[in-house]
Formats: sequence, structure tokens, C-alpha cells
Amino acid sequence: MDFNIYILLAAGIATTFFVATAIALHWAHKNGQFSNLDRGAQSIFDDDEPLGQVTDRFPVSRKKRAAKGK
Amino acid sequence: MKARLGEVDASMRQPAMLFLVSAVFWLLAGSAFAIMAAIKSTNPDFLGLSEWLTFGRVRTAHLNAMIFGWGNNVIFAVAPWIMGRLCKARIRHTNILLAAGIFWNIAVTVGIFGILRGDMVGVEWLEMPAYITPLVIITYALIGVWVVIAFRWRQSEHVYVSQWYILAAFFWLPWLYTIAQIMLIFEPATGVVQSLTNWWFAHNVLGLWLTPIAIATAYYLIPKVLGRPIHSYYLSVVGFWALALFYNWAGVHHLIGGPVPAWVISAGTVASVMMVIPVIVTAINHHLTVVGSHKDGWASPTIRFVMFGAINYTVVSLFGSAMALRHVNEVTHFTHFTVGHAHHGVYAFFTMIMFGAVYYMMPRLLFREWRNPFLIRVHWWMCGLGILLMVISLQIGGWIQGLEMNALDADGVPVHTFIQVVENTKPWLWLRSLSGLMLLVGHIAFAINVFWMIFSPKTEGQVTQPTLLTPTTEET
Repeated sequence: MDFNIYILLAAGIATTFFVATAIALHWAHKNGQFSNLDRGAQSIFDDDEPLGQVTDRFPVSRKKRAAKGK
Repeated sequence: MKARLGEVDASMRQPAMLFLVSAVFWLLAGSAFAIMAAIKSTNPDFLGLSEWLTFGRVRTAHLNAMIFGWGNNVIFAVAPWIMGRLCKARIRHTNILLAAGIFWNIAVTVGIFGILRGDMVGVEWLEMPAYITPLVIITYALIGVWVVIAFRWRQSEHVYVSQWYILAAFFWLPWLYTIAQIMLIFEPATGVVQSLTNWWFAHNVLGLWLTPIAIATAYYLIPKVLGRPIHSYYLSVVGFWALALFYNWAGVHHLIGGPVPAWVISAGTVASVMMVIPVIVTAINHHLTVVGSHKDGWASPTIRFVMFGAINYTVVSLFGSAMALRHVNEVTHFTHFTVGHAHHGVYAFFTMIMFGAVYYMMPRLLFREWRNPFLIRVHWWMCGLGILLMVISLQIGGWIQGLEMNALDADGVPVHTFIQVVENTKPWLWLRSLSGLMLLVGHIAFAINVFWMIFSPKTEGQVTQPTLLTPTTEET
């Protein structure tokens, strides 16, 4: 194939990616995704894993667990 | 109805474990190939008698085992799990994921066997022979469809920034792969366009696949583990859209100095430097979220690994933008500096964040605690120090190598012969082999802990709520 066809093809693909992203951005705005960002930031917390609670630590080694058991 | 997190975790157990176990096996296989290739670069005779184990094949097998065996398998475990948790909906259609997992691992196994056998395709990052292409496309399509289904039937109102990243990544990858396969293998472009397509694809696998998934994971796990929201959620959203709109151009910076139209290179350089914006934004967010919680962070295996990755994301990306400048690239191109940069990105950033995610995910999937904190520490120190040693030695050695190759005397004659330059890189390559051994030790510790956990009984009386492993804490 001709070089120019490839350049056109590549430009077409890049444009498609760009336009797809732009459409997604437009949808997100219309859908109100950017209207309350504070609430959005907290959407990952719920009653099971609430805000303000650390949810991961090194496990207790078996020796220490045994010592505690006594 | 919104599902509780524990229900989401339980529904994800089977597919995630399939992908995770495969990922760990590929991690070990990839490390073995890596050590062979590393030793061969200082001792070319090592295992040199078998054509299956020559440098060209072993090095390529290493790359493919790590990216497509370890990387993609662990992504297919972690990303759908995060997606499910954020959509607050039980994971449905796990059969799709299981089928994808089986197809994928057959594809990678056959692909790497093909590479070792000598069927390699001479296109970087697409070396696996063309006969596995259908399997790869089916897998990507299955997983992509699954993510769209999960997103479509989400129960949450807000689309969290991690969901954007994951959704975008799973949308991009199948397209990238299909276009690259068509333009490089089935209807091959010739000459310059071929290398342009090659690097557009290869760099986008990094930038539009591994990077968004790792950033999504960090954006989910850092606030999650520390129990505090992200520092500036507004900026995180800006960062995502900046990456989504502009990254796709950056890949051609691999061809600076090549016979490519100058405007294409300039566009690639501009896009690469523009990446500073999403990088700084992400850096502000990841780092300032942790400020003030360092103690909690250090006590959590997840945060240790994820923050190591996040810090290195900032550093490696700024290095990458600098390397896209023509004058810097003159020195670094064709040297070990680039190899160091690649490991900095894929290992110190991506892989370390994935390790962190596995440390968080597995106890919740299996209702078991990690069996041995000592092995976690071995994993952390060996991999953390090992990858730092690797990046530093390759980049210092590579920079010296670049300067020596470019050095001219007053008459314009090269100061060093090529073989002298090669000899001078040897001490750095020895350090690289040493760092590879450290990583291997870390990976073995990790694998032992993973299988120990899988084959041990459920943690008794310690799971008090669906997802919390509360009374297992320890102050370190």
C-alpha cells in the first residue's frame, strides 16, 4: 500500500481514539459525574469498609499469636 | 440492589484465583528466563549450545512471559475485582472470565514455546507467532465484553476514577492489538510505517494498558487501606482525561533520529512532554493522600508496595518525558539506559503496585490471612532493593555507554572502539545479574506465601465482617 494511505489510516485511527474519548467526556459531564466530586471521592467507602478505618496490616506471626493465646 | 463488598469478593473468587495462580507461575518462569538472559550478556557461552536457549530467544521469552504471562494474568485478576467492587454489583458471567483465562494461558504457553522454538515474529512486543493471534483476540474480546457488561449493570451512581481508567484500558487494548496485528502481520506495512506502527503499539501497551490499570489500582487501594479519601479528587479526574486524550501519540519517541517525517517525531515529543501534566497530578494525589499516615502505610504490605510503585511512577514518567527530548535521546538511545527505563516502568511501577493489590485481594477472596509475615518482608526488601539496584546500575552504565559511543576527538574520529564500549558495560551488567537474583528470591518468597495460603485452612474466628480481617493487626 501507498505511504500516504497509511498516514491517512493512522491519522484516522488516532482521530477515532480522540473523538471516542471526547464523546465519553461529554457523556460524563451530562451525566453529572463532575457535579459533586467530594461525594465521588468518598464513594469507595461504605458500612463494611468505612471512612477513617485502616483495612490492611501485616499479619501477626505465629509465634506472637501463640504468645498472645497464652 | 447494591451488593456488599464481601459478596462481590466471593463472586470473584474462582476467576481471580485462576488468573492469580497462572500469574505467579509466569512470574517465576519469566524470572528464570531473565536470569539466563542477564548472565548471557556477560558470559555469552552460558547455555550457548542449545539453539532454544540463545540470547535472542531467551530474552524475548522473558519479555513475553512477564508482560503477557504475569502482567496480563494479574491484571485480569485485579482489574475485574476492583471494577466489581466499585460497581457494587455481584460479579456475573464469571464463565466469560474463566473461559478467557483458559484461552489466555493456552495462548501464552503456545506463544512462548513458539518463540523458543524459533517461530518468533521480528516485531518488538508482538513476537509471539501469528498462530496464536485468534486466541489472543478472543481473550481480549471476552474480557472487554465482560467489563462493559459489569459497567453497564453497575449499582453505584458515581463512576469512580479507577473505573474510568479500567474501562478505558479494556476498551483500548483490543483495538491496539487488532490494528497492530493487521498492519504488521496480516497486511504488513513496509519501511518506516512498519516501525511507526510497531512503536505506536508497543508504547501504548505500556501507556494505555499497564499504566492505567496500575494507576486505577493505586487510586483505589491507597484511600481504601488508609481509610481517607484521595487528596484532590478533582485533580485525579483531570489526570485521567489528559492521559486519555493525548497519550496515544507519545510512542513514536522511540524513533527519534530515525528516518521518520520530522513532524511525526515532534508530535511524539510534544505528547511525551505533555504527559508531565497527568503525571504530576497523579503524583500530588498519591503522595499527599499518604502524608500524615506514614505509620499506617508502613504497617500495611499493600501500601508499602503500592506507594513504592506510585513514587516510581512519578520518577519513571519524568525520566521518560526527558528521554523524549532529542538531545537526551542522542545519548540514551541504543544503550542500557533504555533497558533500565523499561524495567523501571514495568517493574518498579506496575509490578510493585500489582503485588500490593494481590496482598489486599487474596485474603478477601479466600477468607484466609497471609501465612507468614517474614516472607512478605523478604519479598518487599528483595524486590524493592533489587529493582532499585537494577535501574540505577543500568541507567548509570547506559549513560556512560551512550557518552562513550558518541565521543569524538578533534578530527571527528570516535575515541573508543565499539568493543571497548561493550567491555566497559560489563561491571554494570554484573550488577544487573545480581539484582535479578534478588528479584528471584523475592518472587520465590511471594510464591511460597501464595501457595501456602491457598492450601491452608480458613483463618478461624478472625473474619468478623464480610471483608475485614480486623483482629489480625500488629504494630510494626
